[in-house]
Amino acid sequence: MGVVMPLNAETVQARTQRVVNEDSTDIALFVRSSQDDMTGWNRQRIVDALLRETFIDRDTAEKISRDIEVTIQAGKVKTITGPLIREMVNAKLLEMGLEEARRMHTRLGVPLYDVDQLLVQHNKENANVPHGPEATNLTLAEGIKKEYALLHVFTPDVADAHLSGDLHLHDLGFIDRPYCSGQSLEYIKKFGLNLPHALSMAKPAKHAEVLLAHMVKFAASLQSHFAGAIGWDAINLFYAPYLEELDDDGVKQLAQMMIYEFSQQAVARGGQAIFSDVNIYWEVPKHFVDVPAIGPGGVYTGKTYGEYEKQAQRFAWALFEVYKEGDAAGRPFFFPKPLVHITEKFFKTDGHLEFLHHICEVASVKGNTYFVFDRGDTAKISECCRLSFKLEASDLEDAKQPWKMRYSALQNVTINLPRLAFKAKGDDTKLFALLTEKIQLAAKAHEQKKKFIERLMSLGKGGPLSLLAMDLDGEPYLKLHRCSYLIGMVGLNELIRVHLGQELHDSDASIKFGLKVIAHMNIVCNKLAESLDMKFVLEQTPAESTAFRFAKLDLAHFSTEAEKVVLGNREKGEVYYSNSTLFNVGATMSPIARVEKEGLFHPLIEAGSITHIWLGEAQPDKEALAGFVINVFKYTQNDQIAFSPEFTACLACGKTSRGLSEICPYCQSKDVDGITRITGYFTKISSWNKGKLGELHDRYRNVDRFNN
Amino acid sequence: MTLFTTDDCVLCAQLKTQFDLAAMDVQVEVLGNNDAGALAHLAWHGLVEKARKGLPILVLDDSSALHEFGHIESQLLDRAASRGIAAKRHGKQAAGCEAGSCTLQ
Repeated sequence: MGVVMPLNAETVQARTQRVVNEDSTDIALFVRSSQDDMTGWNRQRIVDALLRETFIDRDTAEKISRDIEVTIQAGKVKTITGPLIREMVNAKLLEMGLEEARRMHTRLGVPLYDVDQLLVQHNKENANVPHGPEATNLTLAEGIKKEYALLHVFTPDVADAHLSGDLHLHDLGFIDRPYCSGQSLEYIKKFGLNLPHALSMAKPAKHAEVLLAHMVKFAASLQSHFAGAIGWDAINLFYAPYLEELDDDGVKQLAQMMIYEFSQQAVARGGQAIFSDVNIYWEVPKHFVDVPAIGPGGVYTGKTYGEYEKQAQRFAWALFEVYKEGDAAGRPFFFPKPLVHITEKFFKTDGHLEFLHHICEVASVKGNTYFVFDRGDTAKISECCRLSFKLEASDLEDAKQPWKMRYSALQNVTINLPRLAFKAKGDDTKLFALLTEKIQLAAKAHEQKKKFIERLMSLGKGGPLSLLAMDLDGEPYLKLHRCSYLIGMVGLNELIRVHLGQELHDSDASIKFGLKVIAHMNIVCNKLAESLDMKFVLEQTPAESTAFRFAKLDLAHFSTEAEKVVLGNREKGEVYYSNSTLFNVGATMSPIARVEKEGLFHPLIEAGSITHIWLGEAQPDKEALAGFVINVFKYTQNDQIAFSPEFTACLACGKTSRGLSEICPYCQSKDVDGITRITGYFTKISSWNKGKLGELHDRYRNVDRFNN
Repeated sequence: MTLFTTDDCVLCAQLKTQFDLAAMDVQVEVLGNNDAGALAHLAWHGLVEKARKGLPILVLDDSSALHEFGHIESQLLDRAASRGIAAKRHGKQAAGCEAGSCTLQ
């Protein structure tokens, strides 16, 4: 039996420093040791690797290397590779009971069969990633980083909780990035495009088109440093100083360029599309009214943003004209997502009703519009599928210099709620105790990710997150101390069904108990935030793949209980849990009842919520939708709503028709694809995972609900 | 009838001293770091955002809500009188609410 050296802070520090100081190219060359024969065999490399990567003693390392040499010689192996040797060494470590050393010596990689499958078949974990060589690069890299994260970033209890499906650590394949970013265009208006490692530096843009080019490139850079969405605050307002010289056609052209540039990035880049959100205001938000405006060349114009209301409105109007037209085939644009803030001031601003009708028409015709409700004094920046950052006093202070406004959530961890109910077996006390335990585990996961990102950020401008370490305004772009840590939930509806025998929409008692569950989560998050000095906030998890994953895992491990509540089609494997606190998508409810009742949960979920209204083939008139939106603002607590129509895109004739059909109504071709909103964005149905396909089938469409 | 309060809300404390709320059959919900039931009850009435701006809040039996201290006091005085319970108007006497103690944190 070998001797394991004691693990102490000094040795860990020294080892970490050694890894940091090594050039990764050298490391790669060392492990790439494939030989055609035994020529060049040197067992000392095994010893060196074991001493470098683990804490076992030299004698044990020597013994292992000799044993492996004997095995290789005895087996008359013709081809020996680094990976094979490592597998053999790991088996030896296991045989000797050196489990921790084996873990540290693990080789991360992908089986040949899996690579073959990945290269050929479309990975549908994220419908936002098209199939292609760059996308398979992404998938392969993600696979390795995911393994790395579970082995090296998170402790075994956290990793096991993820693997077993108690909770879901989102974007493990992007472990070395924060989750998402919301910011202001002012940063590039003021500082130009001056990014670390760029081959050229651009001064602040003097023309609107150049500003757009800077924005798109910056967004692409940010996308490669964040796992999720890239949001832009008050985009129409911050463009306004550049629009004075443009006539209406020019403004429309700019709007068209912006939408096409963002929507076509996925094809151009090949990997994940830039998940981009643009926040739009009809009015000038109160916190920007007196802020000096930055204009062409990064120079103050001598006016405040309050004086640019009309220009901002021209751009907002033009953007929605483009959305209404759709792309060249009449399909809705998938990105950037337009989020219109409906505020108290909105209703006091001239032309608001015409604008509301305009954006409601777009919502009906193409579905793009998101209606974000900022009641009272609330101000926020929204992005992703429903994430929002409420502006606090310090943020509103930053608003005086808007380039300082940048917000990030570092990670998202989601809790599998139905499983808690399976385990609690109807006992309230046990249910809430289990829930607390999982939230604590989620917080622990956040602490570990934070520590890892801090380590990368500490490498500064020479490190992998140099973009986030850039400090053009005196502070790192990523303000780590102000990051949020998201805790989400999946399957509240199924938890209630297991625990009370009813679904959320069935009774007031169900909703009240559901509120108690979310209130408990809210309270525990607040307590942990205080004790750990980290901003834990609840978010409705989009759960594009998590709702599917949890359902599948529960069917495997809690089959008796799960079979009774999992939604979808089990024969086809199209199973899912209800997203977050959403009611059953198939429940027959009037849209206003759904918005009102789901909205009761929203104030408890501070980092964002949404209610979807599935339209199917329906195309309500704009006045009906506008009236609906006004009522939602005035009489509910709902945070955000979106109307989702469905389309069929014909790949043969290129035409787009309303509703989902298997045959193109224009040319009768069967070569068609459906388009609708998956969880918080539009995409092609052919790229959906099985769980979401199950949900799509079950969705209750409000076909006749808005037509008078 | 339900009165939503917090432990460190000075206005809430004043009402609790001023009225025998239990005798008046007024349920008191203390919002804080330990009672998910109270917070859920508040959310059920759609009052979370209102409570973040100011407490106490009195929810009447018809589910309408009073937020102004003077209105709450009047309502409670009426209820006390209707039940023959002695109580008198003190008016808004508490100081310190400006610091945020009279809100849901």
